[in-house]
Amino acid sequence: MTLQVHQLVPTITPRDAVGNHTFRLREILRSMGYSSDIFAMFRHGEVAGDTYLADQLPSDAHAVIYQFSIGSPLAERWARHPGRRLVNYHNITPVELVGRWDGLLDAEVRLGRQQMADYATRCHHAICDSEFNQSELDELGYVSTETIPVLFDVAASPPDKAITGSIKRSKRGLQVLFVGRIAPNKAHHDLVAAVKVVRDVYGNDAHLHIVGTDGPPGYRRLVDEIVQTAEMSQHVTFHGSVSQSALVAFYQATDVFLCLSDHEGFCVPVIEAMHHGLPVVAYDCTAVGGTVGDGGLLLADKHPMIVGAALARIAQDQGLADHLAAAGRRRSADFTLERTTERFKASLTRVLDHPPDQP
Amino acid sequence: MTESDLTSTPGEPSHDDAAFFASVVAEVEQEAARRTEEGDYPRALLRRLDETFRRWIPEGGRSTGIDDAIRSIEAASYIDAGVPVESNRRAGTAVKTAVRKATYFYHRHMAQQIAALGIQITRPLRLLATTTRQLEQRIVALEDRVDLNVASRDELLAMLPDPLLDPPSYELISRHLAGVAGRILVGEVQGSGLVRHLVDAGLDAYGVGPTTDPHATLELSPEHLDEHLQRLEDGVLGGAVLVGAPDRLALNEQVRMIDSTVRRCGNDARVVVIATDPGHWGTRVGPVAADLTGSRPLHPATWRHLLERAGVSDTSISAGDDGIANIIVGTVRR
Repeated sequence: MTLQVHQLVPTITPRDAVGNHTFRLREILRSMGYSSDIFAMFRHGEVAGDTYLADQLPSDAHAVIYQFSIGSPLAERWARHPGRRLVNYHNITPVELVGRWDGLLDAEVRLGRQQMADYATRCHHAICDSEFNQSELDELGYVSTETIPVLFDVAASPPDKAITGSIKRSKRGLQVLFVGRIAPNKAHHDLVAAVKVVRDVYGNDAHLHIVGTDGPPGYRRLVDEIVQTAEMSQHVTFHGSVSQSALVAFYQATDVFLCLSDHEGFCVPVIEAMHHGLPVVAYDCTAVGGTVGDGGLLLADKHPMIVGAALARIAQDQGLADHLAAAGRRRSADFTLERTTERFKASLTRVLDHPPDQP
Repeated sequence: MTESDLTSTPGEPSHDDAAFFASVVAEVEQEAARRTEEGDYPRALLRRLDETFRRWIPEGGRSTGIDDAIRSIEAASYIDAGVPVESNRRAGTAVKTAVRKATYFYHRHMAQQIAALGIQITRPLRLLATTTRQLEQRIVALEDRVDLNVASRDELLAMLPDPLLDPPSYELISRHLAGVAGRILVGEVQGSGLVRHLVDAGLDAYGVGPTTDPHATLELSPEHLDEHLQRLEDGVLGGAVLVGAPDRLALNEQVRMIDSTVRRCGNDARVVVIATDPGHWGTRVGPVAADLTGSRPLHPATWRHLLERAGVSDTSISAGDDGIANIIVGTVRR
């Protein structure tokens, strides 16, 4: 009889990092011979026919993998399941960074952090995106943890030529890129200050491109205000959510990827930038240092003068930019879908080859 | 190492990228420090951005969060009675479509009631949000009345120089602090000279200030002094040097600063206040800043009075070498 290994996730949507990862993991489980489906509390209309509601989760499943990135009542269903209980932990942004911007998110994040602690003894094995995430669970007393990166395929579509052409035509100075939701933990306000220093102190006609959807409206208003105060309206462009081909165009047509986030659980765009040969400058905090590795410039301090000096150095030193591009490409090879898939298969073979038991 | 030593052949595989990039970062930090020392540092701009950030960051539960939360509740309570009919099996879609048609009248009725409940719930929340907003507007109006113009005051304050201190004044301060048990707080610093002098004299000093220089070798934190003091436990400091802040604050802030600084100091801790003499204040900062900042350094005797009232003994007053600053020192006795 085919063993059932299912995934439980609070919300499943077709085009976000956790959603893509969950669908890829289902394919891996099926390729290993398991019967595997995705069960969710909320399902996007596009994937409703391909997934199931959480209350349909079979109680006789051999194992249930909970995709953990936010607090949800669904976690309790996972914790009570009699099969082997695995967690795939993508990190929960600390409440200090997001709570004040979004009252509902505040409650979900607090619940998530509480559930993380409560379920340490209910979890047979936890797979974490990064060593940083793993260290959080280890501190809480999870008995079996390991790090395997998130499953993703780098944006590999042909570039949108209209965007490539537009950036190249209007290019007068350093083109700086960041990709990520406009949320307080991503510190877009620091990006603006750093690019302002490049312009004012180094006389470089730099431009900041921000790709990503809006997060808490209050934070977007703050970033707009910072842009106005810094007199950067003409030098910062918010592109919103873009297609894969547009994203590739941004990676290929800009000069440097800058990440000054105060909290990241992994940061896929850093690897995508490296894959496309875009030099990476990043503030070394939470999981960012582990993701960048030796493939980019890691700053211990994100004071605008220091970030500005780093950007200006790349603008002036083509040898350094080329060295960063080459190092980034080498680093991104560690995260190919094939390599991560093999790691997941090896891990799942090991941890699923046990009868269900109580920890 | 020069810049040319560090550049590498494009695309050449490196066996030690991490070490190479670490050396580049070290150079970048030096470059930032050099630019700062040469005066390229856009102090007023960065302070203005910092103030903008602080002004826009919401307190927990302020109206921005309430409005967004209410909008989310309203959106979530709007139930779509047309349930999805997609299915893995072809027959499943047909069955679901038939069931949906047959039960649509029922689901629509239920959905309308839930939507009505959502509206009833969010109505009082909107009322609360409006009340909160009105309260906030009244507070802002009150702040405007007592505080001329926050934005222009911040800009003027950012341009005010710290009192000028010469090496003999540094010596006086480090002698007074010598041998203290515990860390020495220097706040608010704009330059790093005094902290560097104290560290070189073997003292465990660190600086806080909103526009500190990015020197990697010194511990300088970009915080406001009052925020830093709020974070500290009582009695943890071995010493404190108040410089810059005494000149920039309004009277109530100056009194609060002295009280909270002394509270954070342990028994036998040494305290130093460096403040511009009020007689020289106007000529030093110019008439515009003197009139509009609302700040006015106190007479040295007043600083001494405030220190003694907060629990500082053995106080004394010295004039700085430039004749413009006063240095008031004392020891905390409990």
